[in-house]
Amino acid sequence: MNNHNEHKHGRYVYCVAESVETINLGAIGLDGNEVYSVLADGLCAVVHDCSAEAYASEDEQTLHRWVINHQDVVKAASERFGTVLPMRFDTIVQDTEKGSVNDNIRRWLTEDGGSLRSRLDRIRGKEEYGVQISWDPKRIAETVSSTDPEIKQVEEEIRGKSKGLSYMYRLRQDKLLKSAMEKEAEDRFKDFYHRIEGCVDEIKVERTKTGEERPMLANLSCLVLREQSAYLAKELEKINSMSGFFVRFTGPWPPYSFVGVE
Amino acid sequence: MEPTRDIHGTLSDLLDRILDKGVIINADVIITLAGIPLIAVSLKAAVAGMETMLEYGVMAEWDERTRADARESRKQTVPV
Repeated sequence: MNNHNEHKHGRYVYCVAESVETINLGAIGLDGNEVYSVLADGLCAVVHDCSAEAYASEDEQTLHRWVINHQDVVKAASERFGTVLPMRFDTIVQDTEKGSVNDNIRRWLTEDGGSLRSRLDRIRGKEEYGVQISWDPKRIAETVSSTDPEIKQVEEEIRGKSKGLSYMYRLRQDKLLKSAMEKEAEDRFKDFYHRIEGCVDEIKVERTKTGEERPMLANLSCLVLREQSAYLAKELEKINSMSGFFVRFTGPWPPYSFVGVE
Repeated sequence: MEPTRDIHGTLSDLLDRILDKGVIINADVIITLAGIPLIAVSLKAAVAGMETMLEYGVMAEWDERTRADARESRKQTVPV
């Protein structure tokens, strides 16, 4: 691809796919750059030409625009190639003393070919979905308090006690409730995990997020065979209809969470 | 239940994936600044000044995690 700006010493890489022909996806890249593929050994890197420097911005909107654009290119490439390995944002290959930038890409594709191919095999024909389950602790606490035998017992004992004594009982009750809620969270997590596990190909447990509207119980990335997401959707529907539980379901995503080296 | 596809409603999910996951190339042909992969630079610029992030330990934790990831992957991939 010598007609591409050889004076540009960087290639922004969007994804890797299996391919035996060079393609051009048009000017759909970051900031309207032309996106094309660099081939080596049956694999290709989908790239655009850039300077050998980072895409960095002080402006959040700009970063968001780039990220969305990156995602759109990966999507366009998967429509073209079927299965692609999405790269992390801002992956830029540069030229070195060893070779030109395109030589470096080809060398990487060739030398890492085995690992790239086995990762492609793992995600072939599959998509990723995000599942986040949160709960309303107040509502769940009410249920827990009214069913937990120990808490109910203390509630009975409080009746007819003096103010000072009932305060002590309340403290004990709070402690019981706290540990009952912790157990509830653990039990629910396990239950949801197993139910979801039965509907998907692979699950990855992500760190739960804090500072959300409601406390998050589970943050899962799920790898699902294309056109098979209906089972997952159905199971999530059931969880979402449980009182006090809320499901956030997003996707399909390119399998970003399943392309790392395990 | 239908998955949410609206790009604005799912931007945080996209950011979680694109900035933190996806394939990383472990090779000398990749641009880094002072050994920190590029994304740190973008994040730093987008979220706050580097000093602010260091102050709150965000970068330190992120950096440590990323380096650990990179060490882990390097064990298993052929360096270019």
